[in-house]
Amino acid sequence: MTGQVCFKDVNVGDEIPRLVKEPVTEVQLVKYAGASGDFNPLHTVDAVGKLAGFDGVIAHGMLVMGFVAQALTAWLPNRCLKKLKARFTAVTRPGDIITVTGRITAKRPEENLIAGEIQAADQRGEVKIKGGFEAVLPGRR
Amino acid sequence: MDDLKKREGEELPAYSFVVERGKIREFVQAVGDPNPVYVDKEYAAREGYADVIAPPTFGICIDLWGGADFVRLCEMFGLNPFKVLHGEQEYEYYGEIYPGDEITARPRLARVLSKEGKSGGIRMITLETTYFNQRGEKVLLARCLIVERR
Repeated sequence: MTGQVCFKDVNVGDEIPRLVKEPVTEVQLVKYAGASGDFNPLHTVDAVGKLAGFDGVIAHGMLVMGFVAQALTAWLPNRCLKKLKARFTAVTRPGDIITVTGRITAKRPEENLIAGEIQAADQRGEVKIKGGFEAVLPGRR
Repeated sequence: MDDLKKREGEELPAYSFVVERGKIREFVQAVGDPNPVYVDKEYAAREGYADVIAPPTFGICIDLWGGADFVRLCEMFGLNPFKVLHGEQEYEYYGEIYPGDEITARPRLARVLSKEGKSGGIRMITLETTYFNQRGEKVLLARCLIVERR
């Protein structure tokens, strides 16, 4: 699955394989709260989400960053990934279908390093995360 | 001057967390990431790892289970939890995190910036945390930007 991408095979402008997630569910938010330890009730209790001015609960930003990481490490072995950055630009609600897309923006041959931009957006195109990554790839197979 | 601004650069209390195999599984199941490198030891070995590994955003789990939770963090900095947003998160990777590793996290209040806008002020707080394993090897660095509307 991974381990096949070499520095010479990747070019500036290339898109990384897109990841389309299953719709976010309320149960998933409960599971992520327990897994991550983030028990901010904004993510699990509808009444708190409403108090904060939303229709109900909203997803943990870090869950959506987890989707971004999933997309990258489905494409590259984890050890290649050197940096990952996410700016949270909009909230995600249960029912949202997140698609992760990205592309290569720079290559530094002296270190076999690639840099790229990556984003997560919902079914309406609303961008939830704008981010970037850096990775060091094997020189040749 | 802002009281928090005066604390810029301050080292915050360190915390530690023992990484459990089951915690990694629970975490990737919640995310819905089917990559076997997190749960299948033999697959991970074929990929060249000593064991299954922790996923790229696992640092959050170390922070919230090992360190201060959201409410305590707000208390520590005098923030109103209802006015706080997680603005940005950044990770730098230096080594793998494996089950059984005891990770020590050393957080620092790296930067405090205040801005005044038309609809009131905001304060931007950057926490920078460095993570070491039980052999003292740096495995991870995280920068977390917290935004408080005032």
